Amino acid sequence: MSPESWLYAGATVLGAVGMWLLLPRPGERMRWVGAAMSVVSLGLILSQVSALGDMLSQSMFIVIGSTTVISAAAAVTFRNPVYCAIWFAMMLLGTAGLFMIQGSHFLSVATIVVYAGAILVTLLFVLMLANPRGNAPYDRVSWEGPLSATAGIVLVGMLTMTLGGVLKSKSFAADMPSELIAAQEAQADDQADAAGPVNILTQDHSASLGARMFSAHLVSIEVAGVLLLAALVGAVAIIAHSRAAQPEEAKSAAQVAMQAPSENGRDR
Amino acid sequence: MKPDDPDILWVDEPKLGLAGKLYLPLIAQGLTTTTKHLFGKKVTVSYPDSEPEIANPLIYRGVHRLNRDEQGRVKCVACFLCATACPAHCIDIIGTESPWEDREKYPESFTIDELRCIYCGMCEEACPVDAIELTSLYNLTGRSREEMVFDKEKLLSVFDQTKDAEPMKSQTVANSLADTTPPKGGAS
Amino acid sequence: MWEALIKIGLLIFVIMTAVAYFVLLERKVAAWVQDRKGPNRVGLPLTKIRLFGMGQPLADGVKMVLKEEYIPGHVDKALYVLAPISILASALATFAVIPFGSIWPTADGYIDFVVAPGFDAGLIYVFALSGIAVYGVILGGWASNNKYSFLGGLRSSAQLIAYEIPLSLGILGIVLTAGSLRLDTVIAQQAETGMWNAFVQPLGFVVFLVAATAEAARLPFDLPEAEQELIGGFHTEYSGMKLVMYASAEFLHMITAAFLIVILFLGGWHFWGITGSGTEITWVTALLRVLVLFAKICLVVFGFMMVRWTLPRFRFDQLMALAWKVMLPLGMVNLVLVAAMVEYFNNAVAEKPLMVFLVMTGLMLVSIVVTAVLAPLGSRNERSPVGDLPT
Repeated sequence: MSPESWLYAGATVLGAVGMWLLLPRPGERMRWVGAAMSVVSLGLILSQVSALGDMLSQSMFIVIGSTTVISAAAAVTFRNPVYCAIWFAMMLLGTAGLFMIQGSHFLSVATIVVYAGAILVTLLFVLMLANPRGNAPYDRVSWEGPLSATAGIVLVGMLTMTLGGVLKSKSFAADMPSELIAAQEAQADDQADAAGPVNILTQDHSASLGARMFSAHLVSIEVAGVLLLAALVGAVAIIAHSRAAQPEEAKSAAQVAMQAPSENGRDR
Repeated sequence: MKPDDPDILWVDEPKLGLAGKLYLPLIAQGLTTTTKHLFGKKVTVSYPDSEPEIANPLIYRGVHRLNRDEQGRVKCVACFLCATACPAHCIDIIGTESPWEDREKYPESFTIDELRCIYCGMCEEACPVDAIELTSLYNLTGRSREEMVFDKEKLLSVFDQTKDAEPMKSQTVANSLADTTPPKGGAS
Repeated sequence: MWEALIKIGLLIFVIMTAVAYFVLLERKVAAWVQDRKGPNRVGLPLTKIRLFGMGQPLADGVKMVLKEEYIPGHVDKALYVLAPISILASALATFAVIPFGSIWPTADGYIDFVVAPGFDAGLIYVFALSGIAVYGVILGGWASNNKYSFLGGLRSSAQLIAYEIPLSLGILGIVLTAGSLRLDTVIAQQAETGMWNAFVQPLGFVVFLVAATAEAARLPFDLPEAEQELIGGFHTEYSGMKLVMYASAEFLHMITAAFLIVILFLGGWHFWGITGSGTEITWVTALLRVLVLFAKICLVVFGFMMVRWTLPRFRFDQLMALAWKVMLPLGMVNLVLVAAMVEYFNNAVAEKPLMVFLVMTGLMLVSIVVTAVLAPLGSRNERSPVGDLPT
């Protein structure tokens, strides 16, 4: 194994232990050590990412990428669920920024609209209503801590390794990512699209993305649509069920109130 | 209390008509009203640039004055009714034996703390000889608290200052009742 | 890169000045509607020139900046500070894709009047950032650790999520006719046919107008703040510069809504006979287009302000009923109508504009009447059956 591989392996182990130490559980257990280990490991991994085009896009990528990774780590390590949600939103913003750097405008804003704008706000709503302080014991324990910490950091290491390795071996120019994606697209859709590789990251890429989704991937779209419809029907069914149950409860409550000997509660 | 108690008066909301249900006609109606006011006459008075017009000085409650009688003496008889009536306790009277024959007492000192006063006009109501009155002077200012405590001379000087524009209210009311003409506004 | 930086600087300067003067305009309109004169004293500093109160924003700004940066002891400090920053940042970032003019001809080609030209998902970007703005409100409400603030934050998150749906349904019709998510394309398409989208899709316009007012939390949809019941809602605990951030973000949202209404439905920079429609223009036309756009924006903002002093605030259940029972179906109907028009009468807009306008307006009236009869905005404040507890 080359020295670089050893470095990756060391960084990954270091990061996994650090993350494990960081994960919330009862009692303080060397969280600062964990944080330091994670930062060192991230720095080691980042140091192996070689030049990705010019200075500007390189620094943008490094800043947004590390923000994303750190936010993701913070999202699982903070104890207050509201803070976790905010860090998760931060991570989504970072992801959107990475998409944006790659020129995939639609995907980037769609990520924000769907995840940060709709799902996470609803989640935050529930969190704030249910348990604003995060004092419940089940909030302080992370389940499967070692496993998830290892899996997460291995994923980060592998992705960085792939990125660094590809960059080193082939030395692409500044427009590498779009070419890379185009090449992958061509590979994946060779049978589906006989006309050759299609670069969807054109000037008008939302339209071409839509056209592609509704021609080459029509079945997948329809399946996803049916799935969503089923979920919607299920949600309506659950609500209708609780609605139907409600009047009886209200009625019995009213009867109890009527039978109650004291007049309290009935004087409005 | 039960819902069918006869003492409960159930008020149902009025049913909305079609215009109310559509909502848009009512919005148009409301916008017409606001637009009218947008260009309507403004009621603001740009105060230091232009003085406000006091419609009826008879019912305006501004700075107090102590009225003089025909001989130029203070009309007050130091009966303390105004001080008793005052809800803010801002009137302070020291009465003493009167040097004149037509009354037993007169105020040796008569001070009103204009900063404590709430300008309710109770003193004016209480006075049996119409000695204390509220004028339509509104721009009352001072540089110190002491300055804002008006003594007898100051209150009499307010009378001297305003007697031409605002005759004594007892006389005005008597005249207006006799003439059955409404009092003229527009002081200061 | 320098071009973009200059554009950003210019845009932020213009927009923030506009916010300051819209605050003044809001106070003026409030005064006029209430038969008052409004602030008219502050003019040039150190002189006696009054200029109809044009110096008021400056005085307000100086006052707010000099105020103490006070953080109450009971708040969650990090989020308390983060909330106004996030809402202002997202409100400002929205303007990256909004064209504030057409193009400026230069010796070699032209300069776009937009900070990020060629951003291909402009409409969704605006949406995404309005989704981020919710965080500022909900976090501010929660971090303040105050019941009123919290209620304001919860109300606002529910309201903004609910009204995003009719808003996007209103936009979908536009995307369908324009065939693009880019705002400049939408304007170009309207300029080309000369038919503004408000005439082609009047129903979509109404839905979008209502939803945009709700998204900007303007009266009658200002439940997140609701001074009379929530003392200011999510920003009850804020003061000084942080309050300024919230206030200016609110005005920025209103300006964004006005921009969207003008660009999507009122033809953007286009006006018949003045601005032309092509890309081969002189600088006079370019300037005229900017002026037309800004005149329209000011008119729409003025309309927002008039509505504020006209309509009383909705109750929360009415607000939700309006979103889900009225605006959502109307938006769907609009989408179907526009889709049918695009599919079967694609050339009608160019050939018979009057007929399209009349037919679409008629269909709008029918659908509004049907919705109003089927889902009236009444209250559920009914008398309970005797023997049961009144609810």
